[in-house]
Amino acid sequence: MAGGRRGAQLPHLSKMERVVLSMQDPDQGVRTRSQRLFITVIPHTAAGGDVVAWLIRKYCISDEEALHLGTLLVQHGYLYPLREPRSLQLWPDDTPYRFQTPYFWTSTVWPAAELDYAIYLTKKNIRKQGTLVGHEKEHYDQLHRKISHTWDLVVMQAREQLRAAKQRRKGDRLVIACQEQTYWLVNRPPTKSTEFYKQEMERCRKALTRARVKSSVCLEAYLKFSGQRGPHDPMMSGCLPSNPWVSNEDAYWTINAPSVAVPTKLRVERWAFSFQELLEDPVGRAHFMDFLGTEFSAENLSFWEACEELRHGGQAQVRATVDAIYQQFLAPGAARWVNIDSRTMERTLEGLRQPHRYVLDEAQLHIYMLMKKDSYPRFLKSAAYRDLLAEAVVPPEAKRRVFPFMRKPLHASPSPALLPASPSGEPVAATSGPECGDRGT
Amino acid sequence: MAREECKALLDALNKATACYHHLVLTVGGSADSQNLREELQKTRQKAQELAVATRTQLTAALRDRGLGAEERAEFERLWVAFSGCLDLLEADMRRALALGTAFPLHAPRRPLVRTGVAGDSAGVAARALSVRSLRHEAEGNFDVDDLRQLEREILQVSEMIQEMEMKVNVPRWTVQARQTAGAELLSSASVRVSSVGAVSVQERTGPCDPNKALAATVFSAVLLAAVALAVCVAKLS
Repeated sequence: MAGGRRGAQLPHLSKMERVVLSMQDPDQGVRTRSQRLFITVIPHTAAGGDVVAWLIRKYCISDEEALHLGTLLVQHGYLYPLREPRSLQLWPDDTPYRFQTPYFWTSTVWPAAELDYAIYLTKKNIRKQGTLVGHEKEHYDQLHRKISHTWDLVVMQAREQLRAAKQRRKGDRLVIACQEQTYWLVNRPPTKSTEFYKQEMERCRKALTRARVKSSVCLEAYLKFSGQRGPHDPMMSGCLPSNPWVSNEDAYWTINAPSVAVPTKLRVERWAFSFQELLEDPVGRAHFMDFLGTEFSAENLSFWEACEELRHGGQAQVRATVDAIYQQFLAPGAARWVNIDSRTMERTLEGLRQPHRYVLDEAQLHIYMLMKKDSYPRFLKSAAYRDLLAEAVVPPEAKRRVFPFMRKPLHASPSPALLPASPSGEPVAATSGPECGDRGT
Repeated sequence: MAREECKALLDALNKATACYHHLVLTVGGSADSQNLREELQKTRQKAQELAVATRTQLTAALRDRGLGAEERAEFERLWVAFSGCLDLLEADMRRALALGTAFPLHAPRRPLVRTGVAGDSAGVAARALSVRSLRHEAEGNFDVDDLRQLEREILQVSEMIQEMEMKVNVPRWTVQARQTAGAELLSSASVRVSSVGAVSVQERTGPCDPNKALAATVFSAVLLAAVALAVCVAKLS
């Protein structure tokens, strides 16, 4: 628990928690009785048979399944048997069980920590006057070797926790001790079962086949990415005309709207980074479509768009869409026939007999790669693209009244409004960095 | 002396942390109540006060350059125990927040788990605060406000831990703990827990607890003596 990993709770554990919580309902839950030990009376004992009967009633399942479910609950520590604490199994007779306190529920969000186990073993050592046996003795020695530097804390805490427990009455003390014992029986089981070794093997196998990339390669790619994208990032290079969060003017957003007549220069430059960027931008896609029109290969892009529609469209329209695409693009002699190689075409036609959402994936990928390798480089070298770059607008910086940038831009021509030495400049212009970003809304 | 003071503060903090841990165990169970939440709040606030005091003393001591090697080692040992204790406290506080949110006291359809713990825990909290008894004075929606307060306190404690790591550079693994394995068995006169006995809660058919056996022997001896005396008196008269 101290400094442990924070994962998410595994779904099967959340489900088991819900089952246990619904068992607690005072009217609809499992029936509980009290247990009598000489003079102490401890409430809330549930019989195994009652638990199984409740499961059958609540979830309408068979005997066998209810027994299996109940055993799972016991094995994960949500219920514990009172007579034989080490045998974690549900008996469908009147063997008494009790519910585990939520603190000790199995959880991946709060995994069992070594320090706590050490404290528990030390407490047990004190209680048993030094006669720990078996796997607990082994664990104790192992832990002492591993965390010997905090052994002072372990001993101190163990002693104090025992003293604190003494302040409770006897019944509560017994119950809490049982709860802790069950928790550690579940989380540090005495024998390593075959299940455990199977999981270990699986884990090692996955670790071996994990993809590894050299950090030099990663870092190079990362540097290249950052260098390429740096001037486009509003945080690193400022945004023209002004940062809307700072100046309260949304010119930046209107200029960069998805469908705008004249795109900005930065946007047009971004289309050269990758084919994906070009296709994702509606303006870019439209211009690319025009370019393909001049090259008489516009049907490729139309086919790709139609396939996207199929993939992301409604389930009810799948059949109709597939038919339409076939008629328009794939049938021999179709109006806009796309050029797919014969093997892919064969496989696609096979799949069309039982159409589903992803049946045209191969063909779509083929056309995509064709466009990417062939048309896209030509587009970037074409006159059309050069014209676009030339026509693209570079919005001027907003005037003095507005706070333009957060940092000095890396563009070639710094604007005079940016210089911090401007005499009547706003006091903020002198402070650069993230502080400007905090101002405003 | 500074070392004694630090040790005393650390012991008090340790006690408060152990009591807090013990109280958090029962959150969400059948013993959960307004009183428990109040006790949790008082215990953790006390623990935090002690933590701040200990930290000030220890950082002052460790930053003192003119400390001898032995003294320094001693303070480092205390430091490691202190930061471990604080980590445990923080983890328990986070756990208390998660459990407190998951098991609100006044929600109609969220019953508490019937764990069989039924008594009250005022004694534990009183031990942590080193007072004789505890008075409960919480009003209606205490637990909801308390959770917000708890969040803030968790942030404070995390910040304190981080600050500590920044200010004082004590690598934990170089510290040699004074206690060895099995040290808890020595001087355990005050800790001999005889009344817990066998932990598997069952009808007692197996070997008896030594205390009970002793009591039974004494009782039967006294009974026999009384019977013998009565017979003698009867015979004589």
